[in-house]
Amino acid sequence: MSTTALLLLLVLVGLLTYLYRYAMIGLFASRSLPRWLHALCLHIAPASFAALTASALFVAGGEVVFAFDTPRPWAALVAVLVAWRTRNVLATIGAGMAALYLLKLLFPT
Amino acid sequence: MAHTGTSARREFLAGCRDEAPLLLGVAPFGIIYGIAALAAGVPAWLAQLASAIVFAGAAQLVIVQMLAAGAGFIPIALTSGLLNLRHVLYSASMAEYVRHLPRRWRLLLAYVLTDEAYAVAVLRYQQRHAAAADHAEHTNATADLRHWYFLGAGFTLWAGWQLSTAAGLLFGTTIPPEWELDFAVPLTFIALLTLLLRERAGQAAALVAGLGALAFAALPYKLGLVAAIVLGLAAGAWTVRRLELAR
Repeated sequence: MSTTALLLLLVLVGLLTYLYRYAMIGLFASRSLPRWLHALCLHIAPASFAALTASALFVAGGEVVFAFDTPRPWAALVAVLVAWRTRNVLATIGAGMAALYLLKLLFPT
Repeated sequence: MAHTGTSARREFLAGCRDEAPLLLGVAPFGIIYGIAALAAGVPAWLAQLASAIVFAGAAQLVIVQMLAAGAGFIPIALTSGLLNLRHVLYSASMAEYVRHLPRRWRLLLAYVLTDEAYAVAVLRYQQRHAAAADHAEHTNATADLRHWYFLGAGFTLWAGWQLSTAAGLLFGTTIPPEWELDFAVPLTFIALLTLLLRERAGQAAALVAGLGALAFAALPYKLGLVAAIVLGLAAGAWTVRRLELAR
């Protein structure tokens, strides 16, 4: 993507985000949030993060690749376990990176 | 008048002080974002500017991750546009506290209405709300300056986010690619996802969206991600309905 296109994209996302933030305290200050929109908002983050994680781990060049002979899926698995046990964001990132380095050290390609 | 000025400053500084501990949690994201942005080929000035105009950590990480994966304009706009929709929730939750303020105040506060500033400010409003019930006379006598507290919290987070982005951009140029620090982005998503998966409908939304991302992997410009998220949202809504019917 060209720098101009990227700048345009960022301005667009920024404007949209600002509109969301201003929506209920400014634009529709006298109205309450519809129930369906409230429910939708609650599920957006889990759906987005799940799709992005799956894609980052198992999609390469438009194809599904389960590269279990590379360190990343296993490091991600360690991160999932640590996240599940500790519910701590920094511990999860730290454990995932440590597992990645350890696996690369143990099984150099 | 001078008295009001001092109280306003005190509220603003209290907001700054209460927000400060949260910067410990925010700074690593800013640094990871800065590093990942450089790795994705985003010019440093644009990556820094994005922290000011988008000012939403998760969305910025998503944009960078998708850019690195070769996604197109429309899919990135749709995905980050959808992800940020949750800010409408914060806006709705804040509405009752800031509705009475002049428009210029609401325009300003909307800009700093992020996850972390919301978390701190809403606590203050609720706390003082309860206290106000006991000391109604006292609260009526003194002007309500809690918006200064909100602004202090928002400003502190804003400054922390800009600085940590800058730190990431500075480190980013010196860190060799073999360190694979870009991997910290999916790890961040994993960590946040785990925190969010508390109820059935959210779990269904995540499961379907995750599988959808693989099923639609072949769609061009990473449009498969958008399809997967929409399908996940449908699964979430369907689960909510099922649970309500079962009750």
